[in-house]
Amino acid sequence: MSGSLLLQSVILGVLLGGLYALLAAGLTLYFGIMRVVMIAHSAFLILAAYLAWWFNRETGLDPMLSLVVTVPVFFLAGFLMQRLLVSRLKPLTLTMMSVLLTFAIALIIEGALGFIFTGTQRRIQLPYAGDSLNVFGAQVPVVKLVAFVLAAFALLSLYLLLKYTRFGRALRATIQHPEAARLVGIDTDRTAGYGFGLGLATAAIGGTALSLDATIYPSLHWHWIGPLMAIIVVGGLGSIPGAAIAAMLLGISQSLLQLPLGATWAQTVFYVALFATLMFRPQGFFGGRLAQRF
Amino acid sequence: MRNVSERTASAALGPAVTETVVVVPDTPRRSRWPRLVSLALVVIGAALVLSFPFVAPNPYILSAGVVILNYAVLSTGWNFMGGFTGYISLGHAAYFGLGAYGTGLIVKYLQLPGFVAWVLAALLVVAVSIPVGIAALRVRGASFVIVSIAFVLILLLVFQSWREFTGGSEGLIVPRPFPDLMRPEHHRVFFYLFAALLAAALVAWWIIDRSKFGTALKSIREDEDKARSLGVPTTRFKLIAYVLSALVTALGGGLYALWFGDLDPIFQFSILVGSYMVLMALLGGVRHLFGPLLGALVVGIALEYFKLEFGDTQFHLVAAGLLLGVVVLFMPDGVIPAVRALIDRFRPQQTSIRDVTAAELLEQNRAAATSEPRAGASSDHRAGAAPDPHADADNREVVR
Repeated sequence: MSGSLLLQSVILGVLLGGLYALLAAGLTLYFGIMRVVMIAHSAFLILAAYLAWWFNRETGLDPMLSLVVTVPVFFLAGFLMQRLLVSRLKPLTLTMMSVLLTFAIALIIEGALGFIFTGTQRRIQLPYAGDSLNVFGAQVPVVKLVAFVLAAFALLSLYLLLKYTRFGRALRATIQHPEAARLVGIDTDRTAGYGFGLGLATAAIGGTALSLDATIYPSLHWHWIGPLMAIIVVGGLGSIPGAAIAAMLLGISQSLLQLPLGATWAQTVFYVALFATLMFRPQGFFGGRLAQRF
Repeated sequence: MRNVSERTASAALGPAVTETVVVVPDTPRRSRWPRLVSLALVVIGAALVLSFPFVAPNPYILSAGVVILNYAVLSTGWNFMGGFTGYISLGHAAYFGLGAYGTGLIVKYLQLPGFVAWVLAALLVVAVSIPVGIAALRVRGASFVIVSIAFVLILLLVFQSWREFTGGSEGLIVPRPFPDLMRPEHHRVFFYLFAALLAAALVAWWIIDRSKFGTALKSIREDEDKARSLGVPTTRFKLIAYVLSALVTALGGGLYALWFGDLDPIFQFSILVGSYMVLMALLGGVRHLFGPLLGALVVGIALEYFKLEFGDTQFHLVAAGLLLGVVVLFMPDGVIPAVRALIDRFRPQQTSIRDVTAAELLEQNRAAATSEPRAGASSDHRAGAAPDPHADADNREVVR
């Protein structure tokens, strides 16, 4: 195995890990806010990818321009979903029932995509699809780099938003201690709704990034939800930095394992990591206090 | 004497649907015959099922009947875990697939007769489900669901990729156990086999439901920490329920393999099949013996209809998703309690003692204490679950 091949694998792993990190951050947000495991997250991801593909087919413009529409729409959808659906569930059975509810949403999205766009595999033809950069002998495709930059930019904005704005502080307070947050005057219900909106907005960005260089089909979301779930459990449920670190590590491992094992078997790394985490450290490796109760 | 008066509404579904066992002193007139009615209804229901192969107009309808019975077996199997302990597994298709593939592979490689392979495969699945159960049951709630989904996905990956052993995506042909039977007779034989398996599963569920073990499992469902503090060995009991559940599901899968004869990893290990089990049980009512069977009837017929009507389009996914969403949002306890509540509204209140779940209890207590509204329960339900002084050991029978 040559050094440049190895380097290329690591670079591709980092690029993939960036996308995983962004999506896992969204999942972590939902979980932190309401203890909701959002199975439909990856279905929304594929929905956004389909919208980007459709936008590109209809207008011929760069699929990234579709973000101007999809991000606000997804934000609104997430807000409404939290306010109208998730908040109606009974608190005692919320975690289990929300899984089923979001599962139902995922089925509806998958079915609707298959119904409207058929099950045919789709791919966006970009003018720069074949280009690649040469980094010390490693070939790095430009589209993957663009997707990574998009994801990294979104993740950074999310971080800055949560860390330095008034709204971000309110959201973090809602996650940490809802009762206390209410006591100091935060409208936790509405903040939780916005948090869901943010989560779905990450799915919109991730989906557009994905559509740049992936072949998409309606049932693709099942291939994403498993790894994403594994990432948030390994990272510790509810911890965004944990999810990001786990995403990077697992993304790189998957990319490296593809060399000896092939693409299909390399995916098992996520599940191996998941079961190992549960066996040895059920609260996750980077999670805090929150994760220990689940 | 049992309290049978509150059972009338449920009589349509059999003798064991109420979980409350309460002494009520003065209902001598009504006590005998709802019980007879429910017994009669069970007998009539069984007779209807058993006579179905003779009234089915063509082999297609008969095969649809077999599919629905198979779903009923799977869903009842799921209900050993989901109904009693409240741990919702979205990945029970894993055991369906393992049972099916186990049977097929044993027949293929060891040349054993089909039904011997079926039993062996079920035992193998039990052996697999123990370590998986130990890992999965270390966590609760959300993480448990994640693990159950991950387990199906990993098996799908393995069975698709391990081409030389499992046949991969091309599928696996399982030889028929009765090679000289014609197709309609084949369906008929398997219809009765599935019916027998379903009956066995229902009887097992009924026995557990009435046992002390079942009460302990239900106490885990209502409040695991409290159950544990009262001395219920929660970990061991959950594991037993999980393994039993896997066993029944695997038996259903193995029988499916012998009946259908052609296995495909995409279907055997699909999250969709697992979610159908959940949908059926939830729709009928997870707390009721016949809930999953009722749900399987409704969902199974609906699925066949959508496949006939819309063919290869993905519309049946939308329908299944909508149905699941409606059930979760509006009747999470299922059809049976919803209908019973409706009937009860038109009857005088007879009992002072009834079945109350921890969720309802919390609701009642909160309504009683409106002067001092409790915040917080919306996001931290563990903390909100504990304020009740009346709940007794198994948290199900409450005197008002």
